[in-house]
Amino acid sequence: MELNKKPLRIRELTAMIFMIIGLKGGDTTPALFADHAQNAIWIVPIISFLFLLGPFLILMHLLKKYKNYNLIELIFHLIGKKAGTLLALLLFTCGFIAMFTDMRNVMEEINYLYFPNSPTLVIYVIFLTICILVANKGLETIGSLAWALLPVIIVTIIAVIFVDLKEAVLVRIFPLFGGGVGTVLFEGISKSAAFLEIFLITIAYQSFHQTKYFHSGIYLGGSLSFMLIVSFYAVYAMLFDYNSINNIAFLYQEATEIVALGHFFTNISTLFMVGWMFSNFLRFIIFLYLICWIFGAIFEIKRFEGLLLPIGFIAMILSLIPPSFVVNEMFFRERSLQIMTPIFFLFPFLLWVASYWKDRKK
Amino acid sequence: MFPWQKKKKTEAVAKQKNTKISRSLKENVAYLEEQYLYGTNFDFNSKELRGSTGRYHLFYYSTIIDTKQLNEHIVTPLLETKRDIPVPRIVTLSSLSSVKNMDEVEKGLSAGCVIIFKEGMSEAFEAKIDDFKHRAVEKPENEKTVKGPKESFTESLPVNISIFRKQIPSKDLIVENISIDSRPTMPVSLVYARDLVNEEILENIKKRIKKITASNIRNIEILEQFLEERPASLFPTMLYTERPDNAGNYIMEGYVAIIMENSSSCLIAPITIWSFFHSPEDRYLRWAFGNFSRLVRAIAYFITLFVSATYVAITNYHSQLIPIDLLLAIASSRERVPLPIVFEILLMEVAFELIREAGIRIPSPLGPTIGIVGALILGQAAVEANIVSPIVVIIVALSGLSSFAAANYSINHTLRISRFLFIFAASMYGLLSLLGAILLWVAYVVSINSFGVSYFSPATPSNRSPRDTFFRMILKKEKWRPGFLNPKDWDKQ
Repeated sequence: MELNKKPLRIRELTAMIFMIIGLKGGDTTPALFADHAQNAIWIVPIISFLFLLGPFLILMHLLKKYKNYNLIELIFHLIGKKAGTLLALLLFTCGFIAMFTDMRNVMEEINYLYFPNSPTLVIYVIFLTICILVANKGLETIGSLAWALLPVIIVTIIAVIFVDLKEAVLVRIFPLFGGGVGTVLFEGISKSAAFLEIFLITIAYQSFHQTKYFHSGIYLGGSLSFMLIVSFYAVYAMLFDYNSINNIAFLYQEATEIVALGHFFTNISTLFMVGWMFSNFLRFIIFLYLICWIFGAIFEIKRFEGLLLPIGFIAMILSLIPPSFVVNEMFFRERSLQIMTPIFFLFPFLLWVASYWKDRKK
Repeated sequence: MFPWQKKKKTEAVAKQKNTKISRSLKENVAYLEEQYLYGTNFDFNSKELRGSTGRYHLFYYSTIIDTKQLNEHIVTPLLETKRDIPVPRIVTLSSLSSVKNMDEVEKGLSAGCVIIFKEGMSEAFEAKIDDFKHRAVEKPENEKTVKGPKESFTESLPVNISIFRKQIPSKDLIVENISIDSRPTMPVSLVYARDLVNEEILENIKKRIKKITASNIRNIEILEQFLEERPASLFPTMLYTERPDNAGNYIMEGYVAIIMENSSSCLIAPITIWSFFHSPEDRYLRWAFGNFSRLVRAIAYFITLFVSATYVAITNYHSQLIPIDLLLAIASSRERVPLPIVFEILLMEVAFELIREAGIRIPSPLGPTIGIVGALILGQAAVEANIVSPIVVIIVALSGLSSFAAANYSINHTLRISRFLFIFAASMYGLLSLLGAILLWVAYVVSINSFGVSYFSPATPSNRSPRDTFFRMILKKEKWRPGFLNPKDWDKQ
């Protein structure tokens, strides 16, 4: 018996969005940006944000207009079954690639920093098993779980910013545009697909108590994540300075490594690992679930939870192909993001045109 | 069920259901004496009365009725009456009622009635003058408070209902009886406020009670396990409380209380995880004091769940986290200890569980021994024999002590068993597997529900509610009843 149907509300969605987007402040994305943009990494997400804002608002507008559809149903409704399947598969593939490249990076981080003696595969299997087990419980559990663990993660974030600001030097923000205005602009635009999850989560449009909660939640979660990412990147820039920031692979861990809490606690980075690890678990639980959901929606598989294991397994195998972290991050991820960006930038416009066309035909 | 497995009810049961009371007194007496094995059944009395107006026959269990009332209000008037008037006008008891068939007679006899037969009448009369023996209303033993009422439930249904009526003097307090189809049939009483309770929840509870067919459910402790959706789960989905004031609070929020004869406690359903961490005293104390005590308890829960596991994970896998002075202190204290840390911790934890289990079972004259043995052997001698390091003793004592801070006994076992799960998880892959285990644990907690109510609400999924989770609000500011129950009246003020 279920007393309340569709119990998820704004806070769960906000927490989920915060987990999958906001936590890009703590993974390897800043290292990707820092490679060219140097200490202007905090401007890069602003540019990406402004770049993606248009298509995103169009997508939200379309979802609001056709009330009863989620992302895939909307695509099918607007551009037909065949073309729709093609586009949806394209989105799925992008999401899938983004997921497994990210996952490999996170695994390498855990492996390299906390368990240097154990093979990546073992950590990967443990991590993925837990993700699949939790994701199997469905969206309501995932949403509630994200909200329930949010306090731990927020405390971690506040603590990190607090201790890092003690070491930070404000003038290290300069030169303001790091590697140059053109580079920063190019970086921000070409790699804006790093934040593609915000489009994918619209698959859950129908799963909240009211659809207006989805709107509030996604705007709230999105802006909070944006603020978090920008402030984290700014802190990194203030900590590591021009010309040395691009040599650091794991900015979050490095930022927690170099600070001490008084004279007694001299090495507190593992303390910040708790919130970081929780958020990474949650991030990939949500991401994996969304990917399976999209796949299930395309091929009309009702109980798509069964796909978690095969899709997760294939993601693991594929992501282990790049020989090392550096190749994965600097070559594979960078290229794939550059290819994905136009897709995610253009498809809302495509839908918009289709919607416009449909209206005119009437 | 397969056709050849059909249930066969015993013939005697089928027979008595159909038997009507006969006009012949002799037949009735013979039937009942046979059914009740009169003569062998030592407290079953079958007593003939020859009054001046006719012959009567009384049946009763002498051990469960009030003999004084029997003599004064039944036997004496029946013998002394001079005119042939109907029995209800002779027997001056308010509880007198007429019965038509033997099924009702049997029910009455077990409930403490005296059955009066009269020659030539095809009906009998039952007078309820029961006097079941039970404990007096005493102080609560397991849920102690400093500030607050000191009454607890006792093992008698009428007494418990009377306490409820005293708590909530309102016509909307309904005590509804449902019979469990067990052997013997037992009544279960649902206590709820009619103008608050959610009908869907109530129907669900009733449906589940009616579904039970097992025999021998004589108290709510057993009933609880038949009602629960997940009997094997670590988390109880009903609150077990012996405090009437606590139960009364829940009823006035829209919950349902389940009581039975023979139980000195009641069950509250549906329930969320927060209720297990709340003590009624939190509300009786002032806002700051109550919340302070909740904070202390919350810390205690976290310590009891995670301190041993964290110690295992950090010392085994993440020793770089420990400040260097502390690391040296730990290392030097472990210098002569041959056992691995996990084994050391498990040894002490198991020993602690042994002391606790023995402490409950030990006869009270021997009680002090266990303290001495436990403290000496586990504390002092084990350290001196280099079996365990002193720091492990501290950690295990801390986690054991903290588990006693649990406000409710039902959650106590949850915490204790979960702690072992976390220790095992931590020993496998350090913080990675420990955090994974915590994640799975929390995911399980947020995914389950109790009678349709999410276990983690009102935190998530959220609703209008008194916001009574980790901390409580100032009572004046509590505007809503718990919205997750969907009560008929949401507004509290």
